[in-house]
Amino acid sequence: MGARPSAASAWISGEMVCLFAVMATLPLWIEAAGLYQYLGIEIAIWMIYGLGFNLLLGYSGLPSFGHGAFFGIGAYVFGLFQAWAFESLLLGIALATVAAFAAGAVVACFLSHRRGIYFALMTIAFGQVFWFIAIKWHTVTGGEDGLLNIPRPALELGVASLPLGSNVALFYFVLLVFAVVVVALWRLVHSPFGKVLQAVRQNEERARFVGYNVWRFKWAVFSLSAAVAGLAGSLFSMAQQSAYPDVMSLHASGVIVMMTLIGGGFVSFWGPVVGVAVYFLARDVLGAVTETWLLWFGLVFVVSVLFKPEGIAGVWQERVSGVLRLRFADAPLRSGRTGDVSIVGPEHGETKDAIGQSPSGR
Amino acid sequence: MPNLVPHLLNGLSLGLLFALIALGFMLIVGVMELINLAHGSLFALGAYFAMVIIAPELSWLGSVGEGYQALPLAMRYGLAILLAPVLVAVVGMGLELCMRRTYGKKAEYGLLLTFGAALVIEEIIRLVWGPSEQYLQVPQAVSGAFLFAGLIYSKYKLFAALFAVFAILLVWLFLERTPYGAIIKAGAHDSEMVRALGINLTRLRLLVFGLGAGLAGLAGIVLTPIWGLRPHVGIDAVIPAFLIIVLGGIGSFWGAVLGGILVGLAVGITGAYASEWSLLSMYLLLIAVVTVRARGLLGRKSVLEA
Repeated sequence: MGARPSAASAWISGEMVCLFAVMATLPLWIEAAGLYQYLGIEIAIWMIYGLGFNLLLGYSGLPSFGHGAFFGIGAYVFGLFQAWAFESLLLGIALATVAAFAAGAVVACFLSHRRGIYFALMTIAFGQVFWFIAIKWHTVTGGEDGLLNIPRPALELGVASLPLGSNVALFYFVLLVFAVVVVALWRLVHSPFGKVLQAVRQNEERARFVGYNVWRFKWAVFSLSAAVAGLAGSLFSMAQQSAYPDVMSLHASGVIVMMTLIGGGFVSFWGPVVGVAVYFLARDVLGAVTETWLLWFGLVFVVSVLFKPEGIAGVWQERVSGVLRLRFADAPLRSGRTGDVSIVGPEHGETKDAIGQSPSGR
Repeated sequence: MPNLVPHLLNGLSLGLLFALIALGFMLIVGVMELINLAHGSLFALGAYFAMVIIAPELSWLGSVGEGYQALPLAMRYGLAILLAPVLVAVVGMGLELCMRRTYGKKAEYGLLLTFGAALVIEEIIRLVWGPSEQYLQVPQAVSGAFLFAGLIYSKYKLFAALFAVFAILLVWLFLERTPYGAIIKAGAHDSEMVRALGINLTRLRLLVFGLGAGLAGLAGIVLTPIWGLRPHVGIDAVIPAFLIIVLGGIGSFWGAVLGGILVGLAVGITGAYASEWSLLSMYLLLIAVVTVRARGLLGRKSVLEA
């Protein structure tokens, strides 16, 4: 991963190829594994959501407990567009993404000068505002029932039109979007922009002192992350063929935090991907055995926060290399440790190179 | 123009109840700089414990003896109000023991941990008491309605508001007039100095967390007869609690009370004009205040801002 600079700067990595290969063959074997096709769609959508969310939690160290709002906005906007304007797949998705970006951008204006707990609390408040509006604004959102009968428009390619009505077809479309998102976000976090985000996470004060406009970076990453959530939300409304306020609740917003953390979003780009897969498999496999699977999942989360905040990816990296190869120079959220290799620390040799990759410098 | 008086009274009583919910939250955040997202689950747990104490025959405990069940409801209710918070406090102390690993790390760890704990407690409640809506009995003397100045008021709401005033004053007396209160306040001000003076900070934190949890449980007992009792009722409590604390200023006792009353009045007054949307006003109030003044109305500068 990040240990090899060549891999980090490449467009496609080995992990990506493996992941895409496994995902692409999913419809062939998922039913043999005792599961069902629809699960693949759900997993792929939430992976998109999780990867976007981890821009905030893992890379920028900004815990948002209200991200479900943007997922929901994407879902509602997609549904409303199909109902009010005309049926169009790509236009609907684009509009949903833009709407979530816009909502995120407005919210980020209030959030970006907040740090730590205050940031988290403000995200809860904003998340609740959107959730509340979704429930109460009956004429537009359909209240608690939500929007029903959202179509799955066909993918128009000019020469051909591919219907997405079947779950397998929709899965491959979602997978395509997923692949684009993975490559785009991989490039983003390894760009100078991504480096500054990590600097902000490690020490906001220092990042500011070396001359970065931290406010603008936090604003940008929040809006961007909201846009990815909106994109995932639009796909979700297609998959569910409905949009409802549940996905915007504090509970749902917390679930994406848990998935990202358990998977190892703090130490790996792939953390949310792992976490989402584990969550949905746990839901379906454990859920078939016991009604209280959420209790066990919650306990795993608590134990994970206490003993292994690096999550599954952290355990994996430890096994692979013997020592925890932190892709980030610093264990995230653990500030003030001595011996940190900090990107913005003036006392470290690596510093100058990292700062040299300023967004304006390239 | 609707008659605002009943809405103002409603808002005021709701505000006092909100302040009661926020008290325990305030203690924990003041001394430990920890946002306890499990506050709502402890709130619900208190109400469930009270339900078992009031009517053990209706729960999995089954019959606990004729003599106890023959006691008047008011007496069993009184016992529940005393005993259930203590039980919740014990649960809270258990949570604090788990929390210890997160001290000295960033505040977000505490947030994540208590979020997980909230989920676990809620699931346990669902497992033990079932997912359906339950009912917490209240004594005959405080149920029903009464007429005042031509308007009908719920007796229980009046009782709950007065109880909230009583509890707020009791906590204030404890903080201001006892040596324990002095230590707790000192811990909120400068925990390093408290430790340097030879006070066992570990035990102080355990006690404060227990006290905060107990107050959450108490608030649950008082409020759930109004709100109804279901496993996820906690979310209706924890969100106002943190809103009020942030609004009033972290670590400020009167800030919490003032924040609670302001939020209650905001909900009450908007309820007069758009009852559907009344709860939205408290989020907007918070966003408005925090945008202008991060540390809240009466808050001092807190380490949580960093």
